[in-house]
Amino acid sequence: MNNNRLYIDIHILQTVPPSCINRDDVGAPKTAVYGGVTRARVSSQSWKKAVRDIFSKELAENEVGVRTKRIADMVAKEIYALNPEYDKTAVKTDAEKVLQLAGLQEKSTKAGKDAPLFFMSVSQAKALAKLVVEDEILKSDAKDMQKKKGTDPKAQKALTDNPAIDVALFGRMVADDPGLNTDATTQVAHAISTHKVENEFDYFTAVDDFPAEEKTDAGAGMIGTVEFNSSTLYRYATVAVHDLQRKLGAATAKAVGTFVDVFARAMPTGKQNTFANRTIPDAVLVTIRGDQPVNFVGAFENPVKPKNGYFAGSVEQLIKKVNETYSDWLAEPEKSFVVGAALGAPDVLAALGTTVEKVKLDALAKKIEEYLNDHTS
Amino acid sequence: MTILLRLAAPLQSWGVGSKFDRRGTERVPTKSGVIGLCAAAIGISRENKEKIHELSSLKFGVRVDRPGVLLRDYHTAKSGKTAYVTNRYYLADAKFTAGLEGVEALLHDIDAALRRPAFPLFLGRRSCPPEGKVALGIVKESLLDALRTDAGWEYISYDGDGVYLVRDVPVSFSQIRREYGFRCVEQISAEKQIGEIEDEIDWFKESEMP
Repeated sequence: MNNNRLYIDIHILQTVPPSCINRDDVGAPKTAVYGGVTRARVSSQSWKKAVRDIFSKELAENEVGVRTKRIADMVAKEIYALNPEYDKTAVKTDAEKVLQLAGLQEKSTKAGKDAPLFFMSVSQAKALAKLVVEDEILKSDAKDMQKKKGTDPKAQKALTDNPAIDVALFGRMVADDPGLNTDATTQVAHAISTHKVENEFDYFTAVDDFPAEEKTDAGAGMIGTVEFNSSTLYRYATVAVHDLQRKLGAATAKAVGTFVDVFARAMPTGKQNTFANRTIPDAVLVTIRGDQPVNFVGAFENPVKPKNGYFAGSVEQLIKKVNETYSDWLAEPEKSFVVGAALGAPDVLAALGTTVEKVKLDALAKKIEEYLNDHTS
Repeated sequence: MTILLRLAAPLQSWGVGSKFDRRGTERVPTKSGVIGLCAAAIGISRENKEKIHELSSLKFGVRVDRPGVLLRDYHTAKSGKTAYVTNRYYLADAKFTAGLEGVEALLHDIDAALRRPAFPLFLGRRSCPPEGKVALGIVKESLLDALRTDAGWEYISYDGDGVYLVRDVPVSFSQIRREYGFRCVEQISAEKQIGEIEDEIDWFKESEMP
């Protein structure tokens, strides 16, 4: 196994107003105890979903995975693209067959009600189509198809190689054939508040705008409560760049830059129409290391006390932790980028090491991509 | 020779045999979880039974420095119109020290790998990255001596001769077929040091019933 290591850590401090970004089964914002006190929490799966949604909107079609029940149609489309003369009556079943050779069960390849959503990249659909049209895999392995679970290594390879950027980053789980599972190369932690929170209740009444004339329905048309909190969150994610490179090759630097940018901008949609909590990060610290990822959440084990809000104290505790880490335990990162006035102040920059560079949020992706292109083979 | 690992983070989750909709956690880190963490650090493939066996042959123990509190995470995933609901359990605010005892060369490999892991490390679930240091280094003492320091801990759970069986000895982490074996687990609590355990009351002996 290749012995290179390259990790990109993303640390974000982000303040959100009263909000209910991620709620549990009784509608309360999720929480967790840390350092002995209750913290606001937004689960990793919630924030990852928000990231994936942006990926599928903003990246080119052949770069993102398509999550669909109609995978056979995707392959059939690519078969036609390769050979417009292909037998129209057979194309759908041939597409299904090649997917089954790749390890999927019949019910997954037919777009029925029970078919699971499958994550497939356009490149993978193209590779499977190529096997059908050019390598005539269905003819050469006719015997295999007789078997109940006949699979073909070439077809399986087509379905695991060339993953979409998001599949390579977030992984894929296939219940039918765990052999097609892909381990994720990113790790996203649950976001937690740097300070203690107590959930609050918003008691609301809604007026009936068209009441009966006899006033028999006096009072509110509806009453209810919405639970919420507000917080300064610490968000952390890491990408194993060296591992991602094995999967994406030359596309890695761009994928990492895009991920960092999208992770910084993404916001889960929970109760957004109610609270309009669509903030952007107050501070972003990106560290690139050749040894190990480092999660700075321990900076906030001692909950931040309010002092002109929570953000200033959060920055102070984060910097203290970073300093302790670099002086007592690990070397400085190979490279750091910071976004935001709080981390970009000259004395703070000096405290964050010698390789740190202040950038604007919209330049972060490009900077990371450039750095990785220059420093990885 | 014992290697010590610090396992601390806002959330950890150490499941034993939990599948599908309900993903539980034990009260302490599992052997499969800690061996898996070491295997990920070294970069051992999920199917490499030989190397995994070598790792699981190490004597494992874990000291509870801070037990944490149980957290239930309600998790939905949408597929079409219906939401798939799962409950995932975590230990919040917990802190453990794990130890693995065995041959020096292997412990050195683990220690080096934890400081330069092949894959990102996590405490039972991928969404639980460790906070701060994981590798605390290698000490000369045996597992129990290394874990049994005098600073405030609650109890130690370790590979012993007890009759309490836990099925968390990894055989293979294969995506296609995970396999686990059993181990016997013993516990000592902070008040009762190891030598004193034999002097405990024998509850089955009538004459000594208090």
